[in-house]
Amino acid sequence: MSDDAKSAALCPVGVLSVGASIPRGRLAVVDIASAWGLPGGRGSVAVCGPDEDTLTLACSAVERALDAADVAIDTVGGLWWGTARPPMPEGPSYAFLATAVGLDETADGMLASGSIHAGVDALWAAWDSVACGAVKTALVVASDALIPGLGTGAERSTGAGAVALVLCGLDGSSSPAGKLVSRSSFTRPFLDRYRGDNQPGTGDPYDARLYREKELVPLVSGAVDQIRDEIPANARWSIPDPDGRLGKVLARATGAKEVCSEGVFAKVGEAGSAAALLGALRGFQDAGTVCVVAAGGGRSSVVVVELSGPLPGASDAISEFDGGARGVRPLGYPSVLRSRQQLVAMSDPVPMGVPPGSAAFVRGNVEMLRLRGRRCGRCSAIAVPPSIHPVCPSCGALGGEEIALARSGTVQTFVINHTMPPPFEAPLPLAVVDLGDGARVMLQGMPEDASELSIGDEVGLELRRYALERGAPVYGFKVYRLPSDTSASSKDEE
Amino acid sequence: MGWNKVAMVGAGLIRMGELFDQSYEQMAYGAFKAVVDSVDKGFDPSQVEAAIVATQRGTLWGQEGIGGNTVPSAIGIAGIPCTRVENACPSGSDAFRIGAMVVASGVHDVVLVIGVEKMRDKSTEEGLLSRAAAGHPVYNRGETAPVLFAPFATRHMHDFGTTREMLASVAVKNHHNGALDPYAHFQSEITMQQVLDSPPVCHPLHLLDCCPQTDGAAAVLLVSAERAKEFTDKPVWVAGFGVATDHPYMHEKSSYVGLPATTMAAERAYAMSGVSPDEIDMAEVHDCFTITEILDIEDLGFVEKGKGGIASIEGETAIGGRIPVNPSGGLLAKGHPIGATGVAQVTECFWQLRHEAGDRQIEVRNGNALQHNVGGRGSGVAVVNILTTNAS
Repeated sequence: MSDDAKSAALCPVGVLSVGASIPRGRLAVVDIASAWGLPGGRGSVAVCGPDEDTLTLACSAVERALDAADVAIDTVGGLWWGTARPPMPEGPSYAFLATAVGLDETADGMLASGSIHAGVDALWAAWDSVACGAVKTALVVASDALIPGLGTGAERSTGAGAVALVLCGLDGSSSPAGKLVSRSSFTRPFLDRYRGDNQPGTGDPYDARLYREKELVPLVSGAVDQIRDEIPANARWSIPDPDGRLGKVLARATGAKEVCSEGVFAKVGEAGSAAALLGALRGFQDAGTVCVVAAGGGRSSVVVVELSGPLPGASDAISEFDGGARGVRPLGYPSVLRSRQQLVAMSDPVPMGVPPGSAAFVRGNVEMLRLRGRRCGRCSAIAVPPSIHPVCPSCGALGGEEIALARSGTVQTFVINHTMPPPFEAPLPLAVVDLGDGARVMLQGMPEDASELSIGDEVGLELRRYALERGAPVYGFKVYRLPSDTSASSKDEE
Repeated sequence: MGWNKVAMVGAGLIRMGELFDQSYEQMAYGAFKAVVDSVDKGFDPSQVEAAIVATQRGTLWGQEGIGGNTVPSAIGIAGIPCTRVENACPSGSDAFRIGAMVVASGVHDVVLVIGVEKMRDKSTEEGLLSRAAAGHPVYNRGETAPVLFAPFATRHMHDFGTTREMLASVAVKNHHNGALDPYAHFQSEITMQQVLDSPPVCHPLHLLDCCPQTDGAAAVLLVSAERAKEFTDKPVWVAGFGVATDHPYMHEKSSYVGLPATTMAAERAYAMSGVSPDEIDMAEVHDCFTITEILDIEDLGFVEKGKGGIASIEGETAIGGRIPVNPSGGLLAKGHPIGATGVAQVTECFWQLRHEAGDRQIEVRNGNALQHNVGGRGSGVAVVNILTTNAS
């Protein structure tokens, strides 16, 4: 590259916090191997349930990062989302996430996609927007829940997860614990993992040795070598580890001594676009330098992060490796295949009353994605959702104020539905919940809570995928039982 | 004391069940023939001046919209005025109420009320269970029919100590009664242990806490009070009725231990008829699930709120008890062909008040019977009809 091609002075930006979300479901790799008549298989991969996808993971990672930074969403100038496989490859994926996290309609941002390099693409773009002054505060989220092809090698390594960062300018108005200080990138055109236009799942067709030694090592080295001089010897490294072995090879090749991403693959697998930042989480716990190395789609990039102390949110984010406050949830291979819609009942799944393209969703999407209600101006009762209540159901008054509903409450009553047609899965709890703000909702619960749910239980609400029909997802909130050592009041204060 | 402007002079139904061999039209004809044959002094089909048809859900047998024209053609009286009524589970009882108002208006003197429902032409998964995907895509998703009542069971058990055995006692009693009813879908006794051991459908409700899916049809003839004696010397009078609506969504209920629609409808029916709950000799109430009958007998004023479970397990609602409830077997044993259900309940009241109920005859003390349905998503509508043999 000519000396004129790049600026001599890269403009650093701040990192205020990090948040992560990894699905609690874990699939033992030995189960996948034995299903295909193969020996061996070590560790487990993080897998989504039927109501989770890259968007729901991204949404909760963003909420956690905002909480950790104590930043209100209405002060955020934009959202940059990187995911190799957005829920709708062509469609309003970005708009759905932006709405779900509560971003202002006029905010900046983009969806980076196309390969698992998308997480770093989004980070670079957000960095540029903050650096040039277009926005003061930016949200970056890298997430993926890829669907591997059945019987491919990728199936035994594909995990899922999301990491969000809150970036800010370095104008002195905030004092971020982290700074993005340097970056580099390298490109070579070769197929590693890929999914063609007409293929349902991701595969890795190349010979493993060719991929490992002939292609990926020089690719990553090509990125690292450009800025090797700027990286201190005691830097902590997040190194790509697409199969649980290659990470070590790449660490040797790049001269990475302290590899903070080690062990992540064994716990969650390779989480696509989120992998590089997930691997960096342990490095974010203390002051020092972290080199975040990403590779995928024929590109490798490095982002150097300098920390003056622990990055807010890092320790909570690390707990996601072990399932967070609620712990991991072992899942069987057939259940994972159903969740990915790779195992489908012969009888047609029951379609929704109206399809996702219906005007009902034009009217209702915002109130579903943001969990909205309307508080009556006369009697203060809260109607849920606003679009089906032209007047207050309590007193009949017109008007009132649309509000975001509380995200926690107590169970007024509930059922566990055991008898439903496909695509529903039993047991399905459905709970009537009295929210902290006085509103009442009836929402689905989590199957893992079915055996323990009781009247009076404290519950939280989180975004999940309610349906996937004609390729379009329907999102709404679901109820999860709060661990008994977490009181509802402390949850509300977060 | 009753309203008594309209008399029931005939009632009939077909044997309820999985009537795979009968079409909607054949069931309608069967019920019509039964009601024609039931009139004491004889009746000619051409005497029907108008008909009200109750059918709740034509989509269960592949019919998007059934108009009022389907039934007159099927039963051989094409050309008469006929209107279809759809008002959720109370469709049949509301058709009865509307039929009575049509007669009372003076426009028609002889009105046929006929309820017909085909529930089993579609598989369960394509039929009733498919409603798990109907309604609001978030707030109703997963909401099969038991989800509309099981939350009340959970809360009733929590607040009042109602037990699964108390719920089960309703099913045991109604199957006992059904075994005495030649028109019932199920005509065999069940034990409490069988109810308790049946598979869970929607916790806390198990399979035998739930009514079956039943095909069926029922019909009654309503005539003006002045002309009743042309048809019978033993008319049953429409003493009063009440309808009430409540918020349709489950998260909007004011409580989960009672159904306000039932309470309001009952208050209106009691006021119109001048009959009080303790003057009712028997009741046919909406027992789509065991918990529903427990809620009903409380909300209708037969027992104190919270005592429905105890009253049931102690036999107060049995045929020989203080207030016999669902001597026909109810929805649990006789079946729940939705549009026909209310009309079939009225038929049972007609027979009981005329001492024509055979082995399941209750003791008629005051000459008053009550019929009740509730439904419509989260019990958003209820109908109560009160019948009497007491001339005003």
